[in-house]
Amino acid sequence: MSRLRIREAVDRLVAGLVVLALMLAATPVLILLLFVVIKGLPGMLAPGFFTDLPHPQGVPGGGVFNAILGTLIIIGFASLAAVPVGVLIGVFLSEYGHNRLGDTVRFVSDVLTGMPSIAFGIFAYTVLVATHVVGFSAIAGSAALAVLMLPVVLRSTETALLLVPNTFREAGLALGAPQWRVTLQIVVPAALGGIVTGALLSMARAVGETAPLLFTAFGNEFLQLNPFRPMGALSLTVFKNALVPYANLQDQAWAAALLLVLLVSITNILARFYVRRIQR
Amino acid sequence: MSQATAEPRVRPPLVTTGRQRRWLHGDQLFRGLAVASGVLLLLVSAIFLLALFIPALPSITRFGLPFLWGRDWDAVHLRFGALPFIYGTVVTSAIGMLIAFPVGLGAALFLAEESRLNWIRAPLSFAVELLAGIPSVVIGLWALFILTPIMRDDVEPFLNHLFGFLPFFQPPFSGTSFLTAGIVLAIMVLPILIALSRDVIRAVPRSLQEASLALGATRAETTWSVVLPYARVGITGAVLLALGRALGETIAVTMVIGNTPQITSRLFAQGYTLASVIANEFTEAVGPILQGVLFEIGLVLVLITIVVNVIARLMVWQFTKPEGR
Amino acid sequence: MKRAILAMVPAVGILLAACGSTSNTPASSPAAGFTIPTPPAANLIGAGSTFDYPFFNAAFYAYNQKFSDVTVNYQSIGSGGGIQQLTKKTVDFGASDVPLKTSEADAMGGADAVVQIPVTLGAVSLAYNLQGVGNGQLKLTPDLIAGIFLGSITTWNDPAITAVNSGLSLPSQPINVVHRSDASGTTYIFTDYLSNVSPEWKTKIGVGKSVSWKTGGGQKGNEAVAAYIKQTPGAIGYVELAYVVQTNMTQARLKNADGNFVLPSAAGATAAAAAKPNVTPTDFSIVNAPGKDSAPIAGYSWAMLYKDQTDKTKGQATVDLLYWLISPDGQQYAANLNYAKLPDNIAKADVATLKTVTSGGTALLTVS
Repeated sequence: MSRLRIREAVDRLVAGLVVLALMLAATPVLILLLFVVIKGLPGMLAPGFFTDLPHPQGVPGGGVFNAILGTLIIIGFASLAAVPVGVLIGVFLSEYGHNRLGDTVRFVSDVLTGMPSIAFGIFAYTVLVATHVVGFSAIAGSAALAVLMLPVVLRSTETALLLVPNTFREAGLALGAPQWRVTLQIVVPAALGGIVTGALLSMARAVGETAPLLFTAFGNEFLQLNPFRPMGALSLTVFKNALVPYANLQDQAWAAALLLVLLVSITNILARFYVRRIQR
Repeated sequence: MSQATAEPRVRPPLVTTGRQRRWLHGDQLFRGLAVASGVLLLLVSAIFLLALFIPALPSITRFGLPFLWGRDWDAVHLRFGALPFIYGTVVTSAIGMLIAFPVGLGAALFLAEESRLNWIRAPLSFAVELLAGIPSVVIGLWALFILTPIMRDDVEPFLNHLFGFLPFFQPPFSGTSFLTAGIVLAIMVLPILIALSRDVIRAVPRSLQEASLALGATRAETTWSVVLPYARVGITGAVLLALGRALGETIAVTMVIGNTPQITSRLFAQGYTLASVIANEFTEAVGPILQGVLFEIGLVLVLITIVVNVIARLMVWQFTKPEGR
Repeated sequence: MKRAILAMVPAVGILLAACGSTSNTPASSPAAGFTIPTPPAANLIGAGSTFDYPFFNAAFYAYNQKFSDVTVNYQSIGSGGGIQQLTKKTVDFGASDVPLKTSEADAMGGADAVVQIPVTLGAVSLAYNLQGVGNGQLKLTPDLIAGIFLGSITTWNDPAITAVNSGLSLPSQPINVVHRSDASGTTYIFTDYLSNVSPEWKTKIGVGKSVSWKTGGGQKGNEAVAAYIKQTPGAIGYVELAYVVQTNMTQARLKNADGNFVLPSAAGATAAAAAKPNVTPTDFSIVNAPGKDSAPIAGYSWAMLYKDQTDKTKGQATVDLLYWLISPDGQQYAANLNYAKLPDNIAKADVATLKTVTSGGTALLTVS
């Protein structure tokens, strides 16, 4: 066998392995999504699921209206804090961070991702709730989630920015633009795809997290729009009701999980669509 | 060829006109803002660490250093040790990453490149990102209901049949085990690995790849020698984020690991992780000692994360090293 | 004719007056001496036991339907969580499966600063998965249960088990023990029972919400334990009665202190509770209670609040709420969900305790 033949064989083998890897990755993903859809549809199609407040066991019907609003409010505030700050830190790391400070920030961020999500809840609880600064509230929940989201956003922003070829920066500077303008108006838009991926991943994670909300947002069976009061969320609904023995509450839990997946999908699609328009 | 990862940044020259002086102020402002945000992260992390450390003090002073290698976990007689949990966390995360890294990287390579199966790319990419939005408790329940029986009745006996001479694959078979937890972790970190690696690989300039192919390299060789080294920083970042998720994942793991503090080489045995014990006991622990022990476990997790992070960086760096440079 | 009708008017008037005077709210009838007070408008927050969650959820929902300007937001973050939050005063009342330990009470200002009342009752079942052995067919004695969970009895056809179950054919399968991995009141009641009936258990393992198990794997929460048992042939574990009934699991008959093999039930728990008329936060165990129908593994769940309420309105609302909860009006929601009703004497004692709650020196509960 000539060397060329061996190399070609290796090439085909690797191609095959890559496809195998894809199938291995796709299988559990699709099975899980299918599982969520199958278990979640009955509850979601039940009348009143989207519009009613929760009913306890024994009272038929019931829905997750307050939890939907709660999730939107809590994640909304958390993203408002985490995404801009995370992008800014990512910019710092890629443009100004090739020094000890940058290395430290990078390292600390990586260690932070390794924390169990309950730790963020305890952190926000200790700083905001136990001190009676805000008490149990959506804001405290958002704070916990924002810290959880930060490392993902900043890491992916940094990566995306580093991958923008230097030629972009050089061109901007050659045209006389100052550094900050080059960064904001040339480099960041060029890296927008990667930045958005990071933001979406972090939001997807946050939307499904329960433990950070247990001691912060606390949960609420009633409708609550004031972010300084305890608030419910879809992830809390899933967590509470998936683990009780009552069938209709379990149905609601699975339906809430399916709804979370749908929320993530919609956000994903909207964000990608918007990015494509910007990059036109 | 220049690599974006290694080049120094071009600095604007010192200027003297008034307009440019205003721009320089803008630069300083922006730079200051960016640096401040980095410092903000350090500040938040410091408070985070303090919020863990102070409640852990009663436990640290009582149990001291032997806490790290103690093997008991007895809330009634107040004997605590973290070693079985450290073992469980490390083993399950290692299994998870060992499975997820090649699978995730391979999938990312596929999803990033052009190929005949283009119609799969978008929906699959999308599906993978959706997975990140599924709450852990749902994944845990799915794993408990569906994965554990399959592991106990099919996968574990199969592995025993093939590799039974190794101590890792000895019977008895249990659906809830280190191995099952590792597989669940692999599934959970795949979205991060795939999505981020895919973006990074896609960003490798076509010109580089085409040049390599023009010189006669095969696709595989191009990937190995050109694409991966170029994407090395990004892939490292993705791996570290995935690893972080694996180390800290709580609820899904606790439903399939069996929650038994023990140290054994058998992967089919039940185990316990640092994050799981915190989740299991925190809501009921009252009092400085019982709570302090859990906070100390949290600190141990920080320690493990640091150690594992350093090792992982080195490993991925080596793996994506450019040839002969 | 006219005179007859005129004569009836005062009688009807007296009847109407009698119906109206006992309470201002329409649908509540004074039952067994409870007159439900109308609470002031308030938004209350409670936290604690997950055991209580379904009951409290149903009850507080109904309470809000009844008194629309009182919302009670109860979240089940765990008994320990409830105690923590009450200590930090972030909630108006807490719920715990185990009353306060001395150290916990001290953190709240001493045992006299907190009022604790039992509000509901539950039984614990031993559920199993054995082919051909249906619900209630397996009989277990205290020694057997202790032996299984200590790991000294390891197969189903062990002579000790077959001796008690002569009518059954038990396989030589290993016993797959499952217990709770998360700290819980259910574990506390179960280990309390085992400490009571087995000296070996008492010295080796002891009583607690979380203990160092000698055998078996742990699952988080009743649901996961139940799921594990259902899908693992040869498994056995302890589960709250509500789960067993709601999901149609097979549970064992347990030998109680009187020597009868009873199937754990809500009635059995009430019978066990009735055998101990004086229940206090320091003396509350009702495991292995005498009585021919008593369920051997049963326990109370407690609500707690500060004796001196700083916010008079909230204090009033809380006390009114808890009063309603222990009255037959509130307890009916427990019965529907497989909890056991509080015995009448305990409910009465609770009322007396609630009357000690004050705000600014004056007692808050004014009804009898």
